[in-house]
Amino acid sequence: MTETQISIQNLNVTYNGNHALKNISVEIPKKQITAIIGPSGCGKSTMLKCMNRLIDMTDNVTFSGKIIIDNEDVFDKKTDIINIRKKLGLLAQKPTPLPMSIYENVAFGPRIHGVKKKLVLDETVQKCLAITGLWEEVKDRLNSPASQLSIGQQQRLCLARGLAVEPEIILCDEPTSALDPVSSQHIEQQLLKLRKDYTIVIVTHNIHQAMRLADYVIHLYLGELVEHGPANDVFENPKEERTRAYINGTMFSDLKIDKEVDLKGNICPYNFVLAKQALHELSKGKVLKLVVDDPLAVTEVPRGMEADGHKVMSVKQINKTDWEVVIQKKE
Amino acid sequence: MNTRRLKDVLSSRLMLAATVFAFLLLFFMAAGLFFRASPILITVPISDLLFSIEWSPFSGKFGFYPFIMGTLWVTVLATVIAIPVSLLSSIYLSEYASNGLREMVMPLVDLLAGIPSVVYGLFGVLAVVPFINDTLAPAMGAETIGGYSILAGGIVLSIMVFPIIISVTGEVMRRVSGELREVSLSLGATKWQTIKHVVLRKARPGIIAAIVLGFSRAFGETMAVLMVVGNVAKVPSSIFDPAYPLPALIANTYGEMMSIDLYDSAILLAALILLLVVLICNVIARIILVRIERGII
Ligand SMILES: Nc1ncnc2c1ncn2[C@@H]1O[C@H](COP(=O)(O)OP(=O)(O)O)[C@@H](O)[C@H]1O
Ligand SMILES: [Mg+2]
Repeated sequence: MTETQISIQNLNVTYNGNHALKNISVEIPKKQITAIIGPSGCGKSTMLKCMNRLIDMTDNVTFSGKIIIDNEDVFDKKTDIINIRKKLGLLAQKPTPLPMSIYENVAFGPRIHGVKKKLVLDETVQKCLAITGLWEEVKDRLNSPASQLSIGQQQRLCLARGLAVEPEIILCDEPTSALDPVSSQHIEQQLLKLRKDYTIVIVTHNIHQAMRLADYVIHLYLGELVEHGPANDVFENPKEERTRAYINGTMFSDLKIDKEVDLKGNICPYNFVLAKQALHELSKGKVLKLVVDDPLAVTEVPRGMEADGHKVMSVKQINKTDWEVVIQKKE
Repeated sequence: MNTRRLKDVLSSRLMLAATVFAFLLLFFMAAGLFFRASPILITVPISDLLFSIEWSPFSGKFGFYPFIMGTLWVTVLATVIAIPVSLLSSIYLSEYASNGLREMVMPLVDLLAGIPSVVYGLFGVLAVVPFINDTLAPAMGAETIGGYSILAGGIVLSIMVFPIIISVTGEVMRRVSGELREVSLSLGATKWQTIKHVVLRKARPGIIAAIVLGFSRAFGETMAVLMVVGNVAKVPSSIFDPAYPLPALIANTYGEMMSIDLYDSAILLAALILLLVVLICNVIARIILVRIERGII
């Protein structure tokens, strides 16, 4: 058995009456890469935000349970949040450089924790930029604004900035979803390198990324913990049907359809209105299947539904004339 | 169908006409002032007008220097007083205050902007001037003319500038994204460190715009200043001295000594200078704010 780094016990989070995480209990192993997988909206980011208490920034949220890191409960009032956050680096979805120079970005963390000596800062900056493979690319322009870097470089800078406060754990929330394939690969390689010294938790809805990186996998679905275990077991031999379906990418067609509406024979603005009405009668998270035969509707209905904030789970042709659109109700 | 289209065409034309009219008005005002000011620009060298300290219209001496300095002293003092107070209160309102408190206070701040300036002037005469005369000046060992001074003007003006700086600064600070704050907090920064090093840094262009807007408001303000600043045409050397800012000069003397040669022209030149300075400040500030809104800065 490996050591546990983060122990989550009976974690519940509710946003304004929306139960986003339901009684989650799971242990995250030390010095391994743990991937949290699941479709968007299932509570992955919420789980990360609980670990570093950024959840405090949200209004109207209630949470309960325990998250134990190094014998300290993150939710305990007596716990020093600053200390916890220092221990948990964060790599966000969107590369977010601070509005200052490349050097200042990396030096920001050490500075706010009281490091003043220029020599020490210089050394930290160089070391962290080198770990993320950025040193050679930026060493001649350390004082130019970080926003001038390419998106991929910005994300590596963010990683370097996180490393500069010497965390034990790195939380990554879909860290490559805004990047091009080459930059994504760069980040993935770095995470693999960092794994021997850090505990890494990566949220991803890219199943292939999870397979490439993860030692341990946690599968969430609509706020529930479906399955967790060593990556090999979960990917090759999932215990749960829903995990198998998700991994095979067939999740959506196996979904329980809550309502089916036949819109054949309707033309465009109307089938959209009818679809909206049908969706209106469903409660949040329920799934609606539409059958349409207007070619325009095949693109316009899903587009409109996404614009309304719903999730389009699949669009496929079922016979010569008809298409099937599966939508999950969100807001 | 046709009347609907007609209405559409008409209303858009009408709006265009109104916009063009507003621009033309500004243009004609500036052009008119320039035209009427040109006699003095032709006869007296511009450097004399701007830098000569001699103001004796009867002998044809039109040195605006004392008035320009008076304006600058009062405006700069007002801005210097207003900056810390309004920055701190807008930081409090946008970062620390609860939503309820903010929603209650912001309309009051806007209300402050709507109070007629003569009321501020009265407040200055009744409260600020006596306070300076009886308490502040004696305590500092300074002489004033009954308390009427640059300091009185600066204090009154700064109160008039608060609402502009508070509301514009608050707006740009609330525009700083949550992600950026999260980055700083996740590195272990405290809330105050995050505000000081990240939020204020990101909002800096907007804060500068807010200050420029406040400055131009103070620069052009007439009534309240005129009532408390003493109106003595001398280059001031301390904040306890009286001063005679340009707007006060215009308001006090235009239409009175028009028989004097070039007097009319000189006063209109002062008006032109005021118009241009305020216009330029406003344009700069608006450009910065629009760029922030579009996400360029
Ligand atoms: N700040 C918030 N306020 C209200 N609801 C939220 C907030 N953040 C997330 N949620 C809701 O909580 C659920 C989980 O969201 P999230 O953790 O962001 O999912 P994921 O990261 O897996 O896409 C979603 O239904 C989402 O709408
Ligand atoms: Mg997310």
